[in-house]
Amino acid sequence: MSLRRTLTRPLISDNPVTLQVLGICSALAVTTSMTTALTMSLALTTVLTASSGIISALRRQIPPQIRLILQITIIASLVIVTDLVLQAYAFAISQRLSIFVSLVVTNCLVLGRAEAFAMHNPVGVSMADGLGNGLGYSLILMAVAFVRELLGLGTLFGQPVLPGPDAGGWFQPLGFMLMAPSAFIVLGLLIWLIRSRWTAQVEENEYPLHVAEVRR
Amino acid sequence: MTELFLRAIFADNLVLSYFLGICTYLAISKRLETALGLAAAMIAVQTVTIPINQLILNGLLIEGAWGWLGLPDVDLSFLKLIAFIGVIAAVVQVLEMALDRYAPALYRALGIYLPLITVNCAILGGSLFMAERHYGFGESVVFGLGSGIGWGLAIALLAAIRERLRYADVPEGLRGLGITFVVTGLISMGFTAFATVTLP
Amino acid sequence: MAEPNPFAFWRRLLALPADSQGKTIAMAFAVSAVCAVLVSGASVLLSPRIDANLAAERQAKLDELIASMPALADILAESQADSMETIVVALDTGQPAPDVDGPVDMQALAADPATSRELTPEQDYAGIGRRPDYAQINVLKSAGRTELVILPIYGAGYQSVIEAYLALEGDLNTVAGLAITSQGETPGLGAKISEPAWQALWPGKQIADDSGEVVLSVVRGKAKTEYEIDGITGATRTGNAIGGMVRFWMGPSGYGPVLDALADGAL
Repeated sequence: MSLRRTLTRPLISDNPVTLQVLGICSALAVTTSMTTALTMSLALTTVLTASSGIISALRRQIPPQIRLILQITIIASLVIVTDLVLQAYAFAISQRLSIFVSLVVTNCLVLGRAEAFAMHNPVGVSMADGLGNGLGYSLILMAVAFVRELLGLGTLFGQPVLPGPDAGGWFQPLGFMLMAPSAFIVLGLLIWLIRSRWTAQVEENEYPLHVAEVRR
Repeated sequence: MTELFLRAIFADNLVLSYFLGICTYLAISKRLETALGLAAAMIAVQTVTIPINQLILNGLLIEGAWGWLGLPDVDLSFLKLIAFIGVIAAVVQVLEMALDRYAPALYRALGIYLPLITVNCAILGGSLFMAERHYGFGESVVFGLGSGIGWGLAIALLAAIRERLRYADVPEGLRGLGITFVVTGLISMGFTAFATVTLP
Repeated sequence: MAEPNPFAFWRRLLALPADSQGKTIAMAFAVSAVCAVLVSGASVLLSPRIDANLAAERQAKLDELIASMPALADILAESQADSMETIVVALDTGQPAPDVDGPVDMQALAADPATSRELTPEQDYAGIGRRPDYAQINVLKSAGRTELVILPIYGAGYQSVIEAYLALEGDLNTVAGLAITSQGETPGLGAKISEPAWQALWPGKQIADDSGEVVLSVVRGKAKTEYEIDGITGATRTGNAIGGMVRFWMGPSGYGPVLDALADGAL
């Protein structure tokens, strides 16, 4: 598979969040504002690309018995360094992201791609795969954050977009959008949207239903 | 303590309020039986790892922990991530061996998902919450038990509903993953109702 | 005897099959060592910047507090050369603690038994378990008289730790203002305590009644006296938590001795 395809497939047709069901935990928690979603996306994409590259470079040397713990050590070290860099250069945002940057360590996406791809492929294409999946993940995150911040606060990236009651406008912020359940529902509806257009992703019905004819 | 326990199960539910452990939550909730087995394993791991991590954090890692050795300024708390994961991996390994020995049927039923508990964000997240909220040892035990039960309760609920959804006429685009998310959102809404419940 | 050749050794090591015992141990050590160096190196390199960020953030919060309270800004403008004094005090005695350096992280002190005191359930209105021994307060004096005191307080909110600065006027009983600096309460409900509209309800309220007992509290619905603050609908628990924080920190287990020392002119 060409490098370009490796990069573009995870955007929609093999999206980590909406199809592979990986990396969801953080995808929901940080989407109350686009700024945090963007920071999380950048952090995860960086760690994913770097870890895929490193693990791929070491793939022939890693003993199978300690495979998991070695991968986790490498990923954890990258995450700690990323967290420290965030605290040093973007302190305010790092406070809001608190444990979710640390949770990138157990993010199934990073480990999942390491196991499924980086362990069996050369460095260049592994990093492309990491970057592609990171971008696919970021796409979903930004989409959900867009809806939640716009409807929940009337702002985008902290800048007021819809005139709220403070500014004497017509927009009543939908507080529900800032609470946990809305993330699930927005993501579910987003998946519906995606699968209505890209129908190849629709799941098969386990028990196909037949509509019986009504006899008069 | 009781309030902490109840909050950890209901209002502060790890999966429904903080989105932790969703990957496994979505993957294992197709059958109620497997879900219950995983829930039991999660409760066990969570109740054991959080207190152990609390001891390690306060005994070895925070600033001043090495004061007795004459090194009061040493602050190793940036290592807590790796330390917690190490403990979790070790505890899951021990649990695997114990289940293999004493409950082989459950061990076989859980299969691959037992070692996957190591990388379940809910387990690590629980320990990280304990660190952030500065819990004591007793509180860690209660929080571990409560958060494990909360997670188990959530996955059991979802599995029960998903078993019914198999016979429902769900719109094409929503089938499978989409409707699961919407249902989880509704369960999560239900759980926020517990937020204002207080004990007399 | 062949000379030890580091390159040959390295090549032999790499040539070992991945699941051999020697390779397993070597990889475990190598990865751990490299990761340890990387993480420790980053920590050492970046910690001065991170500490500076923490201090700057606290200072910014203080500046924000001063900017948000117009009464405060007026008092500052009126006073002459006297400026805001930062004092680290020992909470047990209310006296300054010159050998303790600021900035003081109260919650970190409270986590360490050596620098904190355990609270009994009857004393622990703020739900913090342990009370730190020191705090860093700001006092504005004009011609030797205390004009304003800014006290950092914190307590267990409904679902997070709430941190705030409480500013008192010279009589040490009238609230000059409240600024919430950190909270993780429910967005749209308890989190409204961070809104300027709610914090604007505080200036002018009285903390203790004539008998000296701390009675200021957040009530359900509208406040009727100067000892009450309007509650936030749907956020009773958060409101109670704030009330508990005020009751604890203004009481004998909190800043009580400090306020006495200020009244006596000892600070």
